[in-house]
Amino acid sequence: MSSDIILQVNNLNVWYEDFHAVKGITVGYPEKSISAIIGPSGCGKSTFLRCLNRIYEEVPGAKATGEIILEGKNILDKSVDPVELRRRIGMVFQKPNPFPAMSILDNVTIGLRLQGIKDKSYLMNIAEQCLRKAALWDEVKDKLHKLGTSLSGGQQQRLCIARALAVNPPVLLMDEPTSALDPIASAKIEDLMSELKKEFTVIVVTHNMQQAARIADYTSFFVLGDLIEHGLSSDIFTNPKQQKTEDYITGRFG
Amino acid sequence: MTYLHWRKFKNIAFHASLYLAAIIVLLPLFLIVSYVFKMGASSLNLDFFLAFPKPVGEVGGGMRHAITGTLYLVAIASIISIPTGLLCGIYLSEFGKGKVANLLKFSIDMLTGVPSIIIGIFAYILIVVPLKGFSAMAGGVALSIIILPIVCRSTEEILKLIPQHIREAGLALGLPRWRVILNIVVKGNLSSLITGVMLAISRAAGETAPLLFTSFGNMYLSYRIDEPMASLPVQIYNYAISPFDDWRRQAWAGAFVLITIVLGINLLSRLLVKIGGLRHLIRRGIK
Repeated sequence: MSSDIILQVNNLNVWYEDFHAVKGITVGYPEKSISAIIGPSGCGKSTFLRCLNRIYEEVPGAKATGEIILEGKNILDKSVDPVELRRRIGMVFQKPNPFPAMSILDNVTIGLRLQGIKDKSYLMNIAEQCLRKAALWDEVKDKLHKLGTSLSGGQQQRLCIARALAVNPPVLLMDEPTSALDPIASAKIEDLMSELKKEFTVIVVTHNMQQAARIADYTSFFVLGDLIEHGLSSDIFTNPKQQKTEDYITGRFG
Repeated sequence: MTYLHWRKFKNIAFHASLYLAAIIVLLPLFLIVSYVFKMGASSLNLDFFLAFPKPVGEVGGGMRHAITGTLYLVAIASIISIPTGLLCGIYLSEFGKGKVANLLKFSIDMLTGVPSIIIGIFAYILIVVPLKGFSAMAGGVALSIIILPIVCRSTEEILKLIPQHIREAGLALGLPRWRVILNIVVKGNLSSLITGVMLAISRAAGETAPLLFTSFGNMYLSYRIDEPMASLPVQIYNYAISPFDDWRRQAWAGAFVLITIVLGINLLSRLLVKIGGLRHLIRRGIK
């Protein structure tokens, strides 16, 4: 895997004030694949993910060094506008967070509307496409004008995925997207992610190793800010090279 | 007495004290409203809203000028303080870190605590003295100083309740920060923000002290911003301390109208929060 790498991270370090949260990570993400990041709590996996769209800047005192190359440009560079970047790299959060007092339809289209797109039929079209991709269309097509917050937790999370897709980012980051959901809703999101990789590159942080093994093509294992091992999920989960990885996936550590 | 009895007794005693506290809190409100209602409703008639004061000795007349004046003064105060207060609250909630913000927060808390009569004196020195006369403008400014910190703090508190990940979700869509604040954070909580504003307005509508030597009072209807203007609280005060029975009767009617306006704004703002979601649906349904 060399020519089809869409996102290449080189020697990424992150500090929160004095705390060294992510330590010299180098890893590449192939296009149209699902990559999972696993590791025990506090291992820096969410922080790492939050660097990829520079949302980590929202935390006061956070700073990152190294390179994250998207389309030939280092996105950590000051000359890159985070607003532009985030239209190329979308994000879904741990807790479903539809926007308050906004209808299902408005939630999906807001990214485009606030970029200045006003054409109603075009927006409606995109909304339907994205809700279909998020496997939510059949459940909400009759109540698009109801509040997004009136949906169930699992539906809300799929709504958030549709909202992220509407901006059409080639890369989609997911920060423990199923950890607030019940097993059935989680299974739906997992199926959805497998569908999404036909069009998008998905990078997902998860607590759930079975989930990573089920859906991810590649898996990275983090411990205390270090990347212990990265490779094909089939290798990581059946034939890990590092003792620590083996201990973690067999439940002896973590 | 067994342990179980003792435990049950403690439970009952604690419940009883909670109910007692609730009654003590509700009793003054109930007594005030019922007494003002009793005294005021009997003195109230259509003339009270439509007529102007009659000369001393003549029975009848009304407070149309004072009702108009109160609405006018509150409007001036709102125009000055609501935009400022909202923006200031948004600043404190969304950007407020560091020394400037802390100083601002401290100042606003201090301003909330300044006695309203002192705010009146301040407006007197600031506006009445240089312009050499009482004016509606001075009254409006005095009321706006009362409203400002309430609007600012309520806006800040409401916006701070919104979880950080909602803002991050907006930013993650590639929206500029001002868009996220305006279209997602503020718009998504508009009904609560309006409630805060309305509560501040209702507070200002009932103030007497800041108006005594700013807008002063007027026995005639006036719409001029540079002339003294009547207001319900001041009119009630003047009539209540007068020796004329008919004026005192009208003071009760004025008190009744004032308390109805204030409680009405309060109830309305509460209703607004409740139907916030509903209103959204209705608006959508019409489209």
